[in-house]
Amino acid sequence: MRRHERLIVAAVVLGLFALWEALVRLGRIDPSLAPAPSTVADALIRLAGRSEVRASLGVTAWEVLAAFLIALPTGLLLGFLLAELPVLGALFRPLVNFLFGVPKSIFLPVFILVFGVSIPQKVAFGVFTTVFVLIVGGIAAVQSVPRELITVSRVYGATRAQIIREIYLPAMAPILLESARLAMVFNITAVLLCEIYGARDGIGYRIAAWGENLQMPQLYAALVIVAAAAVAVNEALRAVETRLGAWRQGA
Amino acid sequence: MTWPERHLRLCQAMLYVAILAAWEILPRTGLLPRLFVPPLSEALGALVTDRREYLGSLPTTFGEILASYAIVCGGGILLGQLVGSSATARRMLLPVLRSAYAVPLVVLYPVMMVWFGLGSQSKIAFASIYAFVPTMLTAVAGVAALSPALGETARAFGATRAQQILYISLPASLPSIVAALRLGGALVIVGVIVAQMLGAADGLGFLITRHRTLLNSPGVYAGIVLVLLITGMHEILLRRLERRVAAYRQGA
Amino acid sequence: MSRALVAIRGVSQRFGADGGAVTALESIDLEIPNGQFVSVVGPSGCGKSTLLSLVAGLRLPSSGTVLCDGEPMAAPMPRKVGMIFQEANLLPWLSAVDNVAFPLKLRHVAKAERLAAARRMLELTGLAGFEDRLPHQLSGGMKQRVSIARGLVQNPAVLLMDEPFASLDEQTRMVLGDELLRIWSETRKTVIFVTHSLNEAVYLADRVIVLSARPGRVVDDVDVDLTRPRSFAMTAGERFGILKDRIWQHIKSAERR
Repeated sequence: MRRHERLIVAAVVLGLFALWEALVRLGRIDPSLAPAPSTVADALIRLAGRSEVRASLGVTAWEVLAAFLIALPTGLLLGFLLAELPVLGALFRPLVNFLFGVPKSIFLPVFILVFGVSIPQKVAFGVFTTVFVLIVGGIAAVQSVPRELITVSRVYGATRAQIIREIYLPAMAPILLESARLAMVFNITAVLLCEIYGARDGIGYRIAAWGENLQMPQLYAALVIVAAAAVAVNEALRAVETRLGAWRQGA
Repeated sequence: MTWPERHLRLCQAMLYVAILAAWEILPRTGLLPRLFVPPLSEALGALVTDRREYLGSLPTTFGEILASYAIVCGGGILLGQLVGSSATARRMLLPVLRSAYAVPLVVLYPVMMVWFGLGSQSKIAFASIYAFVPTMLTAVAGVAALSPALGETARAFGATRAQQILYISLPASLPSIVAALRLGGALVIVGVIVAQMLGAADGLGFLITRHRTLLNSPGVYAGIVLVLLITGMHEILLRRLERRVAAYRQGA
Repeated sequence: MSRALVAIRGVSQRFGADGGAVTALESIDLEIPNGQFVSVVGPSGCGKSTLLSLVAGLRLPSSGTVLCDGEPMAAPMPRKVGMIFQEANLLPWLSAVDNVAFPLKLRHVAKAERLAAARRMLELTGLAGFEDRLPHQLSGGMKQRVSIARGLVQNPAVLLMDEPFASLDEQTRMVLGDELLRIWSETRKTVIFVTHSLNEAVYLADRVIVLSARPGRVVDDVDVDLTRPRSFAMTAGERFGILKDRIWQHIKSAERR
């Protein structure tokens, strides 16, 4: 985006917020449904000061991290296996593709049946939702390594370990990072879904509770926090992805 | 089919049979607790015995799905076509939309419930929002990928802007429009069901949740199987449509 | 006469098992002395690339021996034999200088030393100033120069080139051909150059080996008696035409079969 276009987009967004604020003050928008941005900002500051809210955010963050750390090596390793062992790959491919296309959210009740409403349940569901993205990503990453580069390395006397370190890893990095980023997006959504559906703690639980009690400023403030956190994580991962993948332009 | 291919298909078939057999046998032997995973036959049985209940949830569910579908595909695709055809619009909107993709939209459902209550409107609103941006992005990508040479050729023959859109852009973007429909439809179905699970008075998702609270696992699985059937049929229908549309394009 | 640097004796190469076996090469006998520039031509599928991979040590011959400086080529020996492919096959995430230094990195040569060697090679191939470019920022011809620099960086005695200019446009081919001859005259490597282009084969080489269609056998061994340095004007001369025609007669009859 060119600089002046960035300014236009920013101006439009700010303008929308200003419009919202104005409409509430003029009585055109019911503040019990959609409180003014100023009210929401106020609530946000107060929420940030409350330790129980910070604790809930911590619980959610913990669940997200735990699920991600379990799913990442599992999914990628399975993906590598399926790609490197063509027999296994051919056998399981249609199954993986099918499972990848099935919406995972509908299985949430099953996880509650198995684990009850608990943190392991949320982590397990997060892993379940995320692992398929990583399997598919792992397969794609291995297949993206150009075979000719391996031949070239052999000509220059590279050992197996060198081929993995010097060819496979750099070649796979962009795709692996991209799937990790996508996996994180799905992961965050899955964990929050669990918390809204049924939980005893976590920011999703609080969001559902504030909704039920019609505490709109707190609800909106929490939405802002969650959205900002999710976008921040995504952009951070994207920045790493772009830096490590700069060599792919023009390919 | 060559012999190795036949061999592969046979092994795959055996794999699927083994999985289905395990689903049936393991719960019966107690290796998998029946509460967690009931035998396949019981799940399907629940579908049959309670069919009136399940079938009864379908009209509401389908109604909500269709309404969301119309909004997402009508609005999303139309907007996608407009944005896609302007390089400036694409440059300005795509980065914003791609960043927004990371926002876990599921947190919006409590807001929808406050605004619209437990009825169909909240489901339609939620599913529409949930599916809108990805569908629009697919439509944008489709239009952006169109070769400008087609438009230039048309202009060289004196076609007006309207004629260009009608005779060139629209037919050329048909495959990507169908792709957007396929994605949008899948997301809409999931959106509606999940919303029904989270808070509703009726619908398939509502049924699944109710069976879960009653610890009726065959009932839960029966509902899930039904959802899978719906998404599966949608997928098959739209893939078929996609193939037919692509065939026209290749013939052109 | 100096001892042959590359000796190919009684080499045959078969692929596949009994029923569907394909004989790519049959009874190849070649002795290539130190410092000679040899072209290998032949109809499509005659086993030219297979022959090169045998000399590179990427494969073992089904029968016969391939010797380089007296040693059988049982595995790639990058310090003796360098190889340039049709596609430059540069590592897209490394700059030009890092790509050229890559073989040295595999041998754990110290960073300063290998970068210095790489820069020298880039200068030799006419790419001074482009060291820090990434492959996607280089043209096809430049990428091949980097590939050649990489092949030379370990100072191998033998350079194998498998249709290195095939994916370039004609003008770039001509420029790179002259560049290659300049580099060759400065470094005096033994070069085995596989090509489809008869022009290139005769223009560049001291000697042209002609292979038959599969199974590939040596059907001619042409001594190119044009003076060096070669010039473009020679390609219009009578001698050039006679040499080309001699080779073409073999290939023509093979292609028709």
